[in-house]
Amino acid sequence: MNILVCVKQVPDDYVEIRLDGAGKPATAGVEIVNNAFDTYAVELAARFCEANGGAVTVLTLGKDGAQSGLKNLLAVGASKAYLITPPEGDADENCVAAWLAAAVQKCQELNDEPFDLILCGKESTDEISGQVGAMLAEKLDLPFVSSVIEAMPIDGGLSARQETEFGYIRYEVPTPAVFTIAKPGYDPRYPTIKNKMAARKAVIPTVSAAEAGMEARPARVVCLGYAEPPHRQAGVKVQEKEAAVAAAKAVALMAEAKAL
Amino acid sequence: MKYFVYIECQDGQPLSASLEALTPAAQLGEAVAVTVGSASAAAAVAAYGVPVMDLDAEPCCPDRITAALESVIREQKPDGVLFAATQAAKDLAPRLAARLDGGCVTDATGLEVKDGKLICTRPAYGGTILERLAVTAPAFVTLRSGSYAKPAQTAPASVETVPVTIPDGAVKAKLMEAVTEISEAVDLEGADIVVAGGRGMGSAEGFRLVEELAALLGGVVGASRPAIEEGWISRAHQVGQSGKMVSPKLYIACGISGAMQHISGAMGSKFIVAINKDESAPIFSVADVGIVGDALEIIPALMDELRKRG
Ligand SMILES: Cc1cc2nc3c(=O)[nH]c(=O)nc-3n(C[C@H](O)[C@H](O)[C@H](O)COP(=O)(O)OP(=O)(O)OC[C@H]3O[C@@H](n4cnc5c(N)ncnc54)[C@H](O)[C@@H]3O)c2cc1C
Repeated sequence: MNILVCVKQVPDDYVEIRLDGAGKPATAGVEIVNNAFDTYAVELAARFCEANGGAVTVLTLGKDGAQSGLKNLLAVGASKAYLITPPEGDADENCVAAWLAAAVQKCQELNDEPFDLILCGKESTDEISGQVGAMLAEKLDLPFVSSVIEAMPIDGGLSARQETEFGYIRYEVPTPAVFTIAKPGYDPRYPTIKNKMAARKAVIPTVSAAEAGMEARPARVVCLGYAEPPHRQAGVKVQEKEAAVAAAKAVALMAEAKAL
Repeated sequence: MKYFVYIECQDGQPLSASLEALTPAAQLGEAVAVTVGSASAAAAVAAYGVPVMDLDAEPCCPDRITAALESVIREQKPDGVLFAATQAAKDLAPRLAARLDGGCVTDATGLEVKDGKLICTRPAYGGTILERLAVTAPAFVTLRSGSYAKPAQTAPASVETVPVTIPDGAVKAKLMEAVTEISEAVDLEGADIVVAGGRGMGSAEGFRLVEELAALLGGVVGASRPAIEEGWISRAHQVGQSGKMVSPKLYIACGISGAMQHISGAMGSKFIVAINKDESAPIFSVADVGIVGDALEIIPALMDELRKRG
């Protein structure tokens, strides 16, 4: 099966992002990484292809500089990678999904083969809107299952297990299809040194918005500005040799604050 | 302005979070509740004084529900649709926005209308930043639970059964089976006290201490993702970005480092107590009381102390 994984690059989500002097998210200087859920999707795709045959292609809509993130994925299961530059200007999720739909077609052309399955992470860790995968399925008019943690081949298509709050739902879909991926019970693999070296030498094809047939489009959602919720301050630290003494102090503090 | 409120149902009854969405819809203008194929839920919603359209369709899978809603939206052209931000609605809203070329906002916590435009407030970057977004109609907005109180019940409003057109081929993803693995009801969002445990509890046995402390305080057990992945407790207890957003009066974090993805789910807590053996753990920078020590010793000592107080 040919699988495409759409990967967004985001500021490292282990770093707390606040507002800068200009009132914008202070992301300057924060390391840019592959969105965690997209890396889960790459791992799920790699395992699927190892078990059932096929190849994994990864695609990022991004600017020059995004190559290194894609190279990291070439070292952990992807065999082809494309970087496509989206049109300039403000974009909402609907714009991104429309551009991704065009990018999917472009990647199929470059691969000279259609995809059977297109994956997105369930959400990105910066915006956490969880919209793009669903919208992409609509733009491509393909079957859609969200929060998938397991996919298996069946006659004429795929069986997908969607994680739900209380268990799971199993769907069957014809291919091609679009899934979004939640966190499966395993973590993405680490690259071997050999794979890392090979990936570092890879040349990532870069495609412009015009070459990919993407057009600027009006955003339906526009950001007017940002605010910060109130900061939390560190309180009292209790550090004692004896657990009983620490506990007594802590409980007294909790009682004083009427937290009990 | 006219807003639909999509009412999600469980066992034929409206979800409380869906009823909450009736409140901002009424503030924005005219509210109409929409149920899909559930006369019982429709009647329950009408009791809140909001007229209900019960769509004449079997709510048997997401593709059918999407198609049913699409049909009534195309027909009646509301300014937008509000949803409770459930897992299912977080698929419905963007799918409908794509089909109807509207704007979509996830996890809104506040709505207002300014110069004829809908403005939504929502958290981003794990909740450290709030965005103000202007949305072009039709707007498809999921609301984070707890952002609004549900309206009071009044004289019941009307219920109308509305026919919908679902095109052939609308169902592309066939729902084969829905399996319930977690039957316990865990009300983390509504809890006054949450005692949460993380990887630092060391083992399933160690994690039992967290449950004992929660039981003693009459609180609900929370957990970090590693504690769940270790199998110490079910994922219904997860707090954080991929779990529940909690806002108790007291949050006690035991053996939890305080990673953004976890603590973002507990920032709404009134008072945070952290127990961690690493004095430089990030959790201490948000804790009102930080106990440096081994949770396996501190928790039993805390329980002794609390019992003494009666
Ligand atoms: C996309 C994404 C989504 C995520 N969503 C969530 C989420 O919803 N919820 C969530 O919790 N995490 C989530 N995570 C994971 C998160 O990043 C952290 O890895 C996780 O919260 C860490 O859990 P922890 O604090 O239990 O473990 P660790 O970070 O390993 O911390 C364990 C802590 O226990 C302390 N400790 C060890 N032994 C003891 C002892 N005997 N007594 C006292 N303290 C001790 C250590 O000092 C350490 O601070 C997500 C991650 C990603 C990438």
